[in-house]
Amino acid sequence: MAVLEVTDLKCHYITDKSVVKAVDGISFSLEAGEILGIVGESGSGKTTTALGIMRLLDHHASVSGTVLYKGRDLATLPGPEMDRIRWKEIAIVFQNSLEALNPVMTVGQQVIEPILKHDPQAKNAEVRCADLFRLVGLDPSWRESFPHQLSGGMRQRVLLAMALSCDPRILILDEVTSALDAFTRKEVRDLLFDLQKKNGYSLIIISHDLSFVSSLASRLIVLYAGRVVETGPTADIINGPRHPYTRGLVHSTPDIFVYKDLWGIPAESATNDAPEGCPFSGRCTQPIDICRTSVPSLQPCGEEREIACHRGGIATLLKTEGVHFRYPLPGNKTLHAVNNVSMEVCEGEVLAIVGQTGSGKSTLAHVIAGIIRPESGKVQFIDEEVHGGNNGHRFGGIQIVFQDPFSSTSNRFTVLDAVREPLDINRIGTPDERLEMTKDALKWVYLPATDQFLGKYCGELSGGQRQRVALARAMVMRPKLLIADEITSALDVSTAANVLRLLKGLQNRKGFAMIYISHDLSLTLKIADRIAVMDAGKIVEIGNAHEVMLNPCSEHTKRLVGSRIGLCCHDHVHNHHAGEQNPLTGDLNHGR
Amino acid sequence: MSEKNREVILSRFVITLLVILALNFFLPRMMPGDPFSTISSDVQGEDVIIMTEEQREYYSHYYGLDLPLHEQFVVYLSNLVHGDLGKSIQYKMPVTDVILLHLPWTILIVLCATVISTIAGVLLGTISARNRRKGSDRLMMTGLIAFAEIPSFLLGLILLLIFCVFFRIFPLAGAVTPFAHYDSILDQARDIAYHAFLPIITLALAQLTGVYLLTRNTLITVSTKDYIRTARAKGLGEHIVWTRHALRNALLPVVTRTGFMIGMLIGGAVLVESVFRYPGIGSTLRTAVVGRDYPLIQGILLVVAVSILLCNLVVDRVYQKLDPRVDE
Repeated sequence: MAVLEVTDLKCHYITDKSVVKAVDGISFSLEAGEILGIVGESGSGKTTTALGIMRLLDHHASVSGTVLYKGRDLATLPGPEMDRIRWKEIAIVFQNSLEALNPVMTVGQQVIEPILKHDPQAKNAEVRCADLFRLVGLDPSWRESFPHQLSGGMRQRVLLAMALSCDPRILILDEVTSALDAFTRKEVRDLLFDLQKKNGYSLIIISHDLSFVSSLASRLIVLYAGRVVETGPTADIINGPRHPYTRGLVHSTPDIFVYKDLWGIPAESATNDAPEGCPFSGRCTQPIDICRTSVPSLQPCGEEREIACHRGGIATLLKTEGVHFRYPLPGNKTLHAVNNVSMEVCEGEVLAIVGQTGSGKSTLAHVIAGIIRPESGKVQFIDEEVHGGNNGHRFGGIQIVFQDPFSSTSNRFTVLDAVREPLDINRIGTPDERLEMTKDALKWVYLPATDQFLGKYCGELSGGQRQRVALARAMVMRPKLLIADEITSALDVSTAANVLRLLKGLQNRKGFAMIYISHDLSLTLKIADRIAVMDAGKIVEIGNAHEVMLNPCSEHTKRLVGSRIGLCCHDHVHNHHAGEQNPLTGDLNHGR
Repeated sequence: MSEKNREVILSRFVITLLVILALNFFLPRMMPGDPFSTISSDVQGEDVIIMTEEQREYYSHYYGLDLPLHEQFVVYLSNLVHGDLGKSIQYKMPVTDVILLHLPWTILIVLCATVISTIAGVLLGTISARNRRKGSDRLMMTGLIAFAEIPSFLLGLILLLIFCVFFRIFPLAGAVTPFAHYDSILDQARDIAYHAFLPIITLALAQLTGVYLLTRNTLITVSTKDYIRTARAKGLGEHIVWTRHALRNALLPVVTRTGFMIGMLIGGAVLVESVFRYPGIGSTLRTAVVGRDYPLIQGILLVVAVSILLCNLVVDRVYQKLDPRVDE
């Protein structure tokens, strides 16, 4: 039975000039003994939700909706009644700040205070306070101290002890880990877990720290701009986020993506003051017209999962089914370069295809781009079948960048000609517009858009510059899917690193999907969300980058992972990685 | 407080005191005129005496005012070390005695006024802050700010007119009934209170708005702090939230202000004392200045300065007790 049932909770901050909808219609229920996680970036309304439940918002906030606790609506309870519920029934562990505790009272007094308030006859309050201090790992002698004499981590423990003082039925934890170091964070996590086991209370964990929340919560609610965008069982959401925002959050969490470079969700969090449209549409990788005009409601999607997205979550951009391709060899032999490949690429994701030379990666890329026609099987891009490069001719299609920039751009072309050529061929825009688009594309890849540079011949450029010109040439067509075929292998390490970061940065900002083809596993790990391993024309393994890396299933992948040459100083690290489990991600499922 | 800290603070006080002593000494002497050429018509009942040149020289020599300034200063300092503040030229008695005669009256009204204005100001400020933006808050704020614009002597005059002239409830002047015989100490106390009542009320009213505004504004600032939210979340109830949590924090600046005000008022009550012809140290100072009574001016200014320093010291100590964040 649900102990807490929140229905259509709205908390709007009203100022003289505007209304900030910090929480805009949130509904959820909390079962007895359940651990519920609420995640989202700062400003997504997490803390306001907690304060709204406890009725702790200022007068200038207008709150509506019902908050049922054991059948009583907290929103309409008279003040003194509400005070009896506060702390005794629902307590909150505030985010540590220097001012979360009263600076002129000893921390002991502040912990005892609610005990005496809710049970004036309590004789053993002092003893109980000391016990609480011990429970949260503080020496009871600290009771006599004032808040400013404690470290941030100790204050957080005091706040925790204070919240536990009346043995509440529901404990709300607001961003408790942000002040804690890694060790303390783990201790607090274990403590919370043990306490929950022992006392059986319900927990609401509010945090932007996805790994902390997911290590405790059985169910997650993802908030964006005061609305729920996705809910579901924790493991399902972490392993397969459906909403583009959730995916962005998961991808920004270093504990989940151990190897990848961190790329946050581009652009600032929306403030949700524009009434129409999906609040996330401005940062989304896959917006369509309806996203800008109407707000999506929360719809069931799969078992116990709900998502608020007009497109039903992250959409599939490209799909191949049973694709075969064979090269004829002399002597009537054939090379089965692509052998029955079925895979999907989602909107906005980076899929890396890794494999040895000759494993069929490039052939697959060419088939997908429509440069060569598969013998059998289907390639579907958005909703239509790919044939004869039909997606390369328009905006929002597929573009490919090749390995060797020296042969993919003509020496005799100027930079302007090379980048503008696709627009010219496809007759897109007026000449002036084409020039503008060309300059924009050059700016995206951090090349100068000056007349002098535009007039340079490609032959005069360095390898790195030329590869970036090739990239600009692809970007000028604003692809939804970019295929990067070994684009860094012809470049020296430093240039390669620059180009790779540029590419990923561009992908992150523009939100297109990318197939990144490489034989270099270490490099792909830096940018890939998912990895497909190819061997002899077949995809032998496909999955989340860290999963493939940490728990390779197929023999070939294991060999590939093991073949990384570790530096002498990294030897033990290397062995460790090749071995069993990573402690960080291994921790993710611990205790559940 | 460590030994070293104590030394630092002490040496600071000594330096401040020396600077004050020098100012006290030289400033009066920079005023035009001297004790013997002043024609005083302010002090009633005293005969106006115009001295001859010989008399002046005689008195100058008698009071040591014919010495060069720096020598006078050295004499003053060495006397001071021996606890001798000199002799008042006007009162013809030791300065110490003059001060001891008048200082208690000032201390009486200043302390009472401060206690009253602080209690009332904090009370009104709290009520106002709790009802922020409501009618009672707006009314109180507008009223008290307007009230604060009335100068204290004018306020004193108005009170004097109303209660002493029209209703004749309170005496017009003095600290005690002249030539009165008291049957008991209680009787005497009643007479003193009777005389001190209006000066105290005037001083208190003059201070009220400051305390009120400080309390109200600090409380409003404090009420937005996270710990107030924490206290509310604990279900302590509004009363405890406002008193134990908000007010205790908001009182810190009020304490500082109150301490400073006591120090300031010792010398600053002069206008109110004049209006009520109350024999405090303020009106004595006025007389001394008019008569260029250098030793008396020095003595009173010294007392005022020391009392301000003392109040600062006390405030510092009290603040330490109240706010644990202040470095022990």
